[in-house]
Amino acid sequence: MVHETIAATNAVVTLDVALPGIVWGWIITMNMWAKSIGTGIIFLGFFLLKKYPEQTGFIRFPIAAISIVFIHIFLFFTVIDLHQMFRFWHIFFYPHLTSAITIGAWMATGFVGLLFGMAYAIYMKKDEALYDKLLGWTVLLAVPVTLYTAGLMAQSTARELWQMPTESAQMILAALLAGTSAMILLGGNKFSDTIKKDLAIILGLAAAAAFILYMAELIFGPMKAEEVAAVLHYIKGGEYTVMFWIGQAMAFIVPMILVCLSLKNQSYYLLKIAAVSALVGLWVSKHVWLVIPQLLPMS
Amino acid sequence: MQLGFLVDLRLCMGCKGCEIACKVENEVPLSTWRLRVKYVDVGTFPETKRTFTPLRCNHCANAPCERICPVSALHYIENGIVNIDKERCIGCAGCVMACPYGAIYIDPQTQTADKCTYCAHRVASAMMPSCVVACPVEANIFGDLDDPMSNISKYIQSHQGNVQVRKPEKGTDPHHFYVGGGNVTLNPLASFRGEGHNLFNNLKHLPIGGH
Repeated sequence: MVHETIAATNAVVTLDVALPGIVWGWIITMNMWAKSIGTGIIFLGFFLLKKYPEQTGFIRFPIAAISIVFIHIFLFFTVIDLHQMFRFWHIFFYPHLTSAITIGAWMATGFVGLLFGMAYAIYMKKDEALYDKLLGWTVLLAVPVTLYTAGLMAQSTARELWQMPTESAQMILAALLAGTSAMILLGGNKFSDTIKKDLAIILGLAAAAAFILYMAELIFGPMKAEEVAAVLHYIKGGEYTVMFWIGQAMAFIVPMILVCLSLKNQSYYLLKIAAVSALVGLWVSKHVWLVIPQLLPMS
Repeated sequence: MQLGFLVDLRLCMGCKGCEIACKVENEVPLSTWRLRVKYVDVGTFPETKRTFTPLRCNHCANAPCERICPVSALHYIENGIVNIDKERCIGCAGCVMACPYGAIYIDPQTQTADKCTYCAHRVASAMMPSCVVACPVEANIFGDLDDPMSNISKYIQSHQGNVQVRKPEKGTDPHHFYVGGGNVTLNPLASFRGEGHNLFNNLKHLPIGGH
C-alpha cells in the first residue's frame, strides 16, 4: 500500500539513489564569511586611504594584518574541506583552468603574497609609498578573489538558485558589508565624524542592496525554474524559514535601522552594534543560502 | 567513437542485477553506489503500479563535473567516457555539487570522487559493462552512438519520439538515454519523497567521509 501520495502525479518515491546530504556545509560558509572580511577590509582601506590620506594613515598595518588573518582562515577552511587535503598542491601542478576553484586558488595565492608584501612594506620598511603601490594591486586581485566563489556556485549547475550575476553582486556586497563592519570595529573612536558617516552610509547601502537582492530572489525566484520554486519552499514556511529571517534581520534589516539611527543621533555606539549584527547575520544568511539548494533530490 | 547507454524502461523489471554486478565489478564500497535502480510507486491501493529507473553517470558531452574539476581528475577519454583519475583527485567535491544527476559520490575508502565509468576498463578490453552483461531482460543497451549500425543507434532510430534523457534543460548533452520513460520516472520533483520512507534500508543522508 502506498503510504503517501501527491495529487499531481499520485506518485511516491520508495527507494532512490542515496541523498548525498549537505556536501558544502558550515565549512564553506566559514570560507565565504572569512573571505568577505579579508577582501572587504582591503576595499574599504583603499577607499579611506585615497579619500582621507591624512586621517587614516594609522589603518595601514591593521588592515593588512586583519586581511592576512581572515584570508588564512578562509584558506584553512578551504583546505580542510578537501577529502584529500594533502593533495592541495595538485591545483598548482595539474591545473584545470575551466574550474573556478583553480582560478580562485591562484588569485588567492597572489593576493596573500601581496598582503605579506604590504605588511613588510609598512611594518619592516616603514615605506608608505611602497605600501600604497602594493595596495592598488591588492585591490585588483581582491575582486576575483571575492567573485570566484560566485563562479564556483554557478558551475554547480544543479543549483538554479545560484546564478552568476546575482551571486557576484551578493559576494561584492557581502565584502563591502563585512569590510565596513570590520573597519568600524577596527577604527574605534579614532575616525572623524565625516569618516564615520561615510562608513555608516556604505554599511547601510550595502545592507539595503543585499537585502533587495535576497528579497527579489525570494519573490521572483520561482519564476526561473521549477527547481528554484522547490528550493525556496525551504525558506517559505519550511525548515529553514526561521534561520533565513534571523540572517536577513541581523545582516541587513537591523544594520539598516541602526545606521539610520546612528546618522540621526551621531552615535558611533549604534554603528558598532550594527557592525557586529551585520557580521553575525552575514554568516547565517550565507549559510542558509548555501544549504537549501542541496536539500533537493536530484534523481 | 562516442559510447552511449540506453535503458528500455519497458523491459526493466527491477531485479537490481545491474546494481549488484556493478558493485562487484568495481568494488564499490558499502554505503555507496555507482548505479542504483530508483523505483516509484504510483497510485493508491488497489490501483497501484511500480516503475523502475536505473540511474548512473550520463557521460555528458558537456559535463559540468569535468569543467569544475580543478585538477583534471575527471576527464574525457577518446571514446567519450568521462573517466576519473583517483590518484589526482583532491576530494574537493566540486564534481559532486556540479553533477545535476547526483551520480558522483565520495568514496569512503579513498576519500576521492567516484562514479560510473561505463566500466571503462572492460570496454578497453572489448567487453561490455558489467551491468549490461548482468541484465536478464536486455534492458541495458550499450554501444557506439557514432556507428549507425550499432545496436544502440538502431534502437534509437527505431524508437524515434520515445527516446528521452534526464534533465535536458541542463544543457549537459547526456549520452545516456531512456526509452519508455515519463515524468514520474525521470523527473525527481514529480514524486513525493518521504524522509526515511525507504523499503530496504534506512538511509537518509550518507556520511560524506572524514577529513
